[in-house]
Amino acid sequence: MANGTWKIARGKGSPQLSIAIVAVLAAVLVVLGRAQSTLFDRARTYFSDATAPMLEAARGPVNAIGHWVGGMGQIFVVYSENQKLKEENAKLRQWQNAALVLEQRLKRYQLLLNAVQDPTLSSVTAHVIGRANRPFLDTMILDAGKNQGVKPGESVVDDRGMIGRIYLVGQHTAWVVLLTDLSSRIPVAVEPGHIQAILSGDNTTAPGLETSRPGVVLKIGQQIVTSGDGGLLPAGLPVGTVTWNGSEFRAALLADATEADDVRILDLRQAPEQPPTPAAGDLPVVAGGIQPLVQTPNTSPNAQVKPLQLPAGVAPPLSQQQMEQAKAAAKAGAATAPTPAEDDH
Amino acid sequence: MNDRLGFSFSGSLGSAIPFLCGVLAAIIANVPISFLGGLVPSPLLAFMPVYFWCLVRPDLMPAPAALALGALDDLLSGGAMGIWALSFVVSYTLIDRERDAFAGLSGLGAIIGFGAAMLVTEVTAFLVVAATHATFPPAGPFLLQAVTTILLYFPGLSLLNLVHHRFIGALRSDF
Repeated sequence: MANGTWKIARGKGSPQLSIAIVAVLAAVLVVLGRAQSTLFDRARTYFSDATAPMLEAARGPVNAIGHWVGGMGQIFVVYSENQKLKEENAKLRQWQNAALVLEQRLKRYQLLLNAVQDPTLSSVTAHVIGRANRPFLDTMILDAGKNQGVKPGESVVDDRGMIGRIYLVGQHTAWVVLLTDLSSRIPVAVEPGHIQAILSGDNTTAPGLETSRPGVVLKIGQQIVTSGDGGLLPAGLPVGTVTWNGSEFRAALLADATEADDVRILDLRQAPEQPPTPAAGDLPVVAGGIQPLVQTPNTSPNAQVKPLQLPAGVAPPLSQQQMEQAKAAAKAGAATAPTPAEDDH
Repeated sequence: MNDRLGFSFSGSLGSAIPFLCGVLAAIIANVPISFLGGLVPSPLLAFMPVYFWCLVRPDLMPAPAALALGALDDLLSGGAMGIWALSFVVSYTLIDRERDAFAGLSGLGAIIGFGAAMLVTEVTAFLVVAATHATFPPAGPFLLQAVTTILLYFPGLSLLNLVHHRFIGALRSDF
């Protein structure tokens, strides 16, 4: 034990000089870490890539323990919480319907105005396989990396709002700096009014809000969304609401990074994945083998008819010659049998 | 060397045990999985072997080893490099200068001694972070981490004692 029972061993040489040199080295390391972080970042991604399978395996039970311990305090408010959630859910359904209607209306207006379309976002869904919680650090590790097309700077969201940004990418892991992290700074807009501000993390649960215009007065409850300034983050991602802590305005985040298990990584620059164009054989009429009642001849001289690729067992449509023969046969038949129109009379 | 150790370890391996304990502690503390849903910061486990062997066998835990363990902690935690490295070295300097006072503590006093060293480490880290980020971070998480680490030093001390007695203790006073 570290007490009087030990006879203290003393090293040889000059320990004070050694400590002084080491202290200088440590100070150099601090400066180097700020100036040349790429080297150390690479080592970190190697580490996270190497330990990813282990973290993935431990994710389930550890998350269960974490949620159980974290949720112990909520056992006594489960009933009231459930009632509150039901009410909230009903309201959200109404809002969802309203949003869908407005979305369609917005699309129509954009078409009418020939407006530039909003950038479409591609996304990668990833599991949270780790969280690092240090006094000056708030990060998480995801199980998607370069192999899945993840790039540094991309925004990470859960089903409620933005969580953070990717800052390191390994082959199949990525590190996320959370909005609450001390080094996190993102441009946001406070709505309504589109007031530009910077959301600054300080390792508390509610990051600070710094408006760029002096004299601007915020109101509690206003919505905070990403502004998209700088082109790194998409505009309009929900972030949180404005709160007041007694001395300054802060952001109550919508997303809860400590509870998030699955998140989406949004890529602003990559085109979203499009489903493959259906082949002719995939179309329901052809795939079902349904023949049209009346064939309309193609009268356009420039039109080129591409033969359909039919699945096995489906009868091909009649050719022009076969159609003529069919019409002639129909006329011949009409001479002997009454047409439905004639039959009616 | 073997008879000093009392075991079949070679001298280099035996003398590397404190450092390896520090490496193991750094890895365990920085496995980025939170058991408490992020309620408390990860404890600074790597500082326990540094403090312990800096007192009882400084020849096996020299200042460069403390620097390396701090740097490893920085590397694995995902934060800026050098913060824990510098903090460990500053604390090491204090422990080295006041070794007789620290080593004279026993029982709860030993824990208080560790607590004092831990506070120096956290204050140093706080100041380095404030300097590098040009803003004062909230002090609460630093204190919380210090408290968590001090609480874990109770079982940690027993474990370190066991390792020391089992593998190193036989030659502690031969230097």
